[in-house]
Amino acid sequence: MATEAVVTTMSPEGLKAIGAALAVGLTGLASAIAEKDIGTAAVGAMAENEALFGKGLILTVIPETIVIFGLVVALLSL
Amino acid sequence: MLKPKQMSRAVIVGHKNILEETVDALHKANLFHIEDFNEDGSDLKIGKPFEKGSEVSKRLVKIRSIASLLGVKDVAVAKQNPATVCSQLDSCLDTLDQELEVLVENKHALEAELKDIGSSKKEILPFTNLGLDLELYRGYENLVVFAGHVKENVEPDIARITSSYELFYDQKSGAIVLFVVREKAPQIAEVLAGTSFRESKIPDMTGSPSSLLVDLENREADISKKIQAIDTEIEALKLKYSDLILASNEVLSIEIEKAEAPLRIATTESSFIIDGWLPTDQYAELERTVNAATNGRAFVSSQEITKPDIKKVPIEYDNPKIVSPLQEIMNLYGRPTYKELDPSALIFITFPLLYGMILGDIGYALILLIGALIIKKVVSTDAVKPLMNILIYCQISTLFFGILYGEFLGFPLASYHGEHGIEPGLIPGFETLELFVSPFAAGEMIGFPLHRTHLVMTFIVATVFVGLIHLNLGYVVGFINEKRKHGISAAIFEKGSWIVVELGILLAVLGYLDMLPIIIGAIVFLVGVAMLVKGEGVKGPVELPSLLSNSLSYTRIIAVGLSSIYIASTVNLIAFEMMWQPGSPIGVMTIFAIVVFLFGHALNTALSIIAPGLHALRLQYVEFFGKFYEGGGRKYDPFGYIRKYTEEK
Repeated sequence: MATEAVVTTMSPEGLKAIGAALAVGLTGLASAIAEKDIGTAAVGAMAENEALFGKGLILTVIPETIVIFGLVVALLSL
Repeated sequence: MLKPKQMSRAVIVGHKNILEETVDALHKANLFHIEDFNEDGSDLKIGKPFEKGSEVSKRLVKIRSIASLLGVKDVAVAKQNPATVCSQLDSCLDTLDQELEVLVENKHALEAELKDIGSSKKEILPFTNLGLDLELYRGYENLVVFAGHVKENVEPDIARITSSYELFYDQKSGAIVLFVVREKAPQIAEVLAGTSFRESKIPDMTGSPSSLLVDLENREADISKKIQAIDTEIEALKLKYSDLILASNEVLSIEIEKAEAPLRIATTESSFIIDGWLPTDQYAELERTVNAATNGRAFVSSQEITKPDIKKVPIEYDNPKIVSPLQEIMNLYGRPTYKELDPSALIFITFPLLYGMILGDIGYALILLIGALIIKKVVSTDAVKPLMNILIYCQISTLFFGILYGEFLGFPLASYHGEHGIEPGLIPGFETLELFVSPFAAGEMIGFPLHRTHLVMTFIVATVFVGLIHLNLGYVVGFINEKRKHGISAAIFEKGSWIVVELGILLAVLGYLDMLPIIIGAIVFLVGVAMLVKGEGVKGPVELPSLLSNSLSYTRIIAVGLSSIYIASTVNLIAFEMMWQPGSPIGVMTIFAIVVFLFGHALNTALSIIAPGLHALRLQYVEFFGKFYEGGGRKYDPFGYIRKYTEEK
């Protein structure tokens, strides 16, 4: 019985680290995918009208909040 | 400050025979934004351009094509007198044009020849090591020649089919030439096709390939020299004429702008009407200029600005000089509208502040500050200067926060007493001053300097507070905007409601901490929501969660800052600890370490402009502006020209 308990218990530290890694990694991926789409559209719009640079820039950085939230969650969980 | 310039609408009316004088005067004064006239079915018609226009535009096209051929760049030159420029231009424009055309044509011909030689060289190259003259490759009745490249020796395969062949093979390049009797040729071709044989074209030349190659190389060098000579000639022309070209381009551009001005003006058979805008404080000057130019025969009158006009008013910023670089950031988003607050002065404080909070490193601040000062000094174009000024403001703030955080290129300046003992700082003997335990996170000690890497939780909470202050500043500005546009009650319900909601949340938190009955907070919160619904409809409550996401968004201040610290300290670690131990003798590793250190920090310096800049900008645009800003104002673009290369007549 005693050995079984050792095998099935995972270190809470390790689980926290995995959780933090998932929070940062997955949100990072999500931001990247969103920014890719917005970025291509923004570059396309800029090719038509250069004055849209400012708006395009803002739209492109909007999804970056997702990964920042992920980072905050990771920091909170550690 | 905080408001765009007061504008007036003015109309200038006069007889057509004084139109040219009026246009000249307006252009010179450079203060009247002409409202383009659109034919609207009335008797007014768009004017016709002045006669000189077509001649001027022809010359302008010529000058611009010459300028682009010569590669004349905008540089600061001494200002010239337009009259002498014009007379000089008359005498030399045609000769310059012809001379340049001949040169450019010659250059193109030579370049084409160079290309031909290059391709001939490529054809000959495979045959140079085989030692056979090129005429030996063709002209046989009973022999077929295969020339090309192979990867391995194909001789055994060929020998199996026939013995009547001759093979030349250069092992080094894999070039091969094979002579076989005609009747065996199809079989041989089949065999070769099954190997790695790649056929190459036999060049249509005679003589030994290696001597031909030498010849071609000589010719190539010769032509390159000729091209160089032409380039120096073009360069000489450029040197001699660039002042004249820049000046005359300017003079002609001004002339053409004036000549085409009537296309923007309403005219009748014998009179003209110029409608437009100008800053109110310059109205008297406009009147004086027009009267002086036309002896009082043109009539200037000011028009009342009607409500639909307000959307059309061109916007001119009214900021002190120190704030004006930040207008670039406003332009990137869109100018304010006429009745709106101009937030440039607010951004002047908040943008560098947020940037500095994110970067906060003495080393990078000094590098970028010096870089910006040098670029500002060297490059004097109008586009770069305001950007460099913004960078300088940001670096001053970064320097301040760098001292507060005690960081230099990712190194902590002061030692730190943590759970794992003492971590030494860069300055020996500089100890962290511990003041009090952070109220936001257990075990985090606030003191001087602030170690960001050890105060993460505290910083997360603190940055959210910074965000709340920034957001509420936005709501206050929004309140003022709304009051100005739609009155006090709209302002209270649309923007004030947000402040009430926040107050409710704050009271609820106090209630949660048992300092107040929680019901008070809940009531205030619900009152706020009700006001919001009245002010903005259903859309209001839907946006409520944005309060949370917006304020959490400010945690990027610490998040992006930490990423910069970790990049810098990783570079430091690799350079100093992994590659080179301080105290060990200087050797190859030292050099490696220095290279890693320089390259890594150069990279991080570049990132230090981009990442904090973009994020500070985003906090302004998305979080801050979202609370109040509409934008979309038209640029005030006065009819006129700022002379760079010529003096005013």
